[in-house]
Amino acid sequence: MEASAPKAPQTFEELMLPHMDAAYNLARWLLRDPHDAEDALQDACLRAYRSIERFRGGDGRAWLLTIVRNVCYSRMRRGRREPAADAFDEDAHGSAHDPGEANAVEWRETKGELLRQALEQLPLEYREVIVLHEIEGLPYRDIAEAAEIPIGTVMSRLARGRRRLQTEILNLAGRVPRP
Amino acid sequence: MNCNESRAAIEADADGELDTIRHLELEAHLRACPDCARLAEGARARRAALRAALPRFTAPPRVVERIRASLMAEEAPRSAPRPWVAWPSWSVVGLAASLALAALGGYAWGRSRGRGDVLLREAVSDHVRSLQAGHLMDVVSTDQHTVKPWFIGKLEFSPPVADLADAGFPLAGGRLDNLDGRNAAALVFHRRLHVINVFIWPAGGTQVGARRGRESGYNALTWSQGDLNFMAVSDIPAQELGQFVAAFRGRTQ
Repeated sequence: MEASAPKAPQTFEELMLPHMDAAYNLARWLLRDPHDAEDALQDACLRAYRSIERFRGGDGRAWLLTIVRNVCYSRMRRGRREPAADAFDEDAHGSAHDPGEANAVEWRETKGELLRQALEQLPLEYREVIVLHEIEGLPYRDIAEAAEIPIGTVMSRLARGRRRLQTEILNLAGRVPRP
Repeated sequence: MNCNESRAAIEADADGELDTIRHLELEAHLRACPDCARLAEGARARRAALRAALPRFTAPPRVVERIRASLMAEEAPRSAPRPWVAWPSWSVVGLAASLALAALGGYAWGRSRGRGDVLLREAVSDHVRSLQAGHLMDVVSTDQHTVKPWFIGKLEFSPPVADLADAGFPLAGGRLDNLDGRNAAALVFHRRLHVINVFIWPAGGTQVGARRGRESGYNALTWSQGDLNFMAVSDIPAQELGQFVAAFRGRTQ
C-alpha cells in the first residue's frame, strides 16, 4: 500500500532526472554536436543544482530548459559557432523567393532526411522554437517560459521558422534556384 | 469566422492551441471554404511530416550517470523528510488558531496516522502535478463570487471560498481535483511567486483534524470545519502557511 502510493518528487534528482532527455535533445539541436551537447547538459545540471533555491516550484522542465538554453548560448558565443544566425534578413529573403504555402501533398512527399538537414540549417532563434514545439511537444506557454520570450514572439517565430524551413527544403531539393 | 480570422487560427489549431469553441468555429468555416481547408490540410500535413522526420535525441545513460555522480560529489545529502507533527507551536500568530484547532479535532489523527501519511503524500503529489501539468486552474478568477458558484453542480458539497488579497494571499482560481479517493475542490492562492493549493473534501465522518506536515520540501496544514476536511499545501515557509490558514479560517467560518 505504502509502496504503491503516488510518490511526489523528493530530491533534485527526482525533480530533474525525468527531464534529462528533453534537456539533451534541446542541447543537441542547438549545438548540433553530441559531445558538446553532453557537456552542456552536465554544465546545466550543475548550475540548476546550485541554484535550486531559486526554483520557484513551477514546472521543472521549463526551468531546466531555460538553463540548458543559456548554457548552449554562452558556449556558442565563446566558440563563435553560430555566426550568421542574427544577420538573417527575414523580409528581404522572404519576399524575393517566397515559395508560397506548401500543400499537404508536398509535405507528405518531403523526405525525412531533407527535413532534418533543413532544420539543422535554420537560424538558431527559429530552430529552438521548432525543436521545442514540434519535437518536444511543448505548448506555446512553456516555450515562452523556457526561451524567456513573450508568447506572441513564440508564435511569430514558429510561423517564420516554418516558412523558412519550407524555403530551405526547396533549396536543398534544388526545386528553386538559389538567389 | 471569416477567412482572415481563419488564417490566424489554422496554425494555432494545428498546434493544438485553440480552445474548443474556436476550434469548432474554425471547423465550421473550413467546411464552407475550400481555400482555407486546403491551408489547414497543409498545416496538418506539415506537422505530421515534422513529427515523423525529426529525431528526438535522448540523453545517453552514461552521461546521466556522470551527472548523477557529479551532483553527489557536490554536496552532502539533505536531511531525511520529517513525518507529520502536531501543529503549530512556532508562532504567536498561529497560537490562537492552534488552540482552537487542537480543540477541534487534533486527537482524531492519532488513530489514523498511517492513513494521514498517505494523504499527505497524495496531496503534495497533486500539488506538484498541478504545477507541472499546466493544469493549475479550471476557473481563473480573483473574485470569490465567481469561483464559488463555479463548483456548483460539479461537487456534492459547496466549498467555502474567500479572497485573501488584503492578507497578502490573493485568490487566483480553482479546479476539480481528487484526494483520498473523493472529488475535491482545489482553491489556488498566490503568495508572491508561490502557489498555495487548498484541497477541500467531505470528511464523511473521518475528520483529518489539525496536523502539520512536511514532505519533499513542501509544507502542509490540515484542519476540519464542520463535515469538510481541508489541506493547504505550498512551498512557502510553514509559518507563512500558518498565517494563510488562520486568515482563511477567519474568513470562512
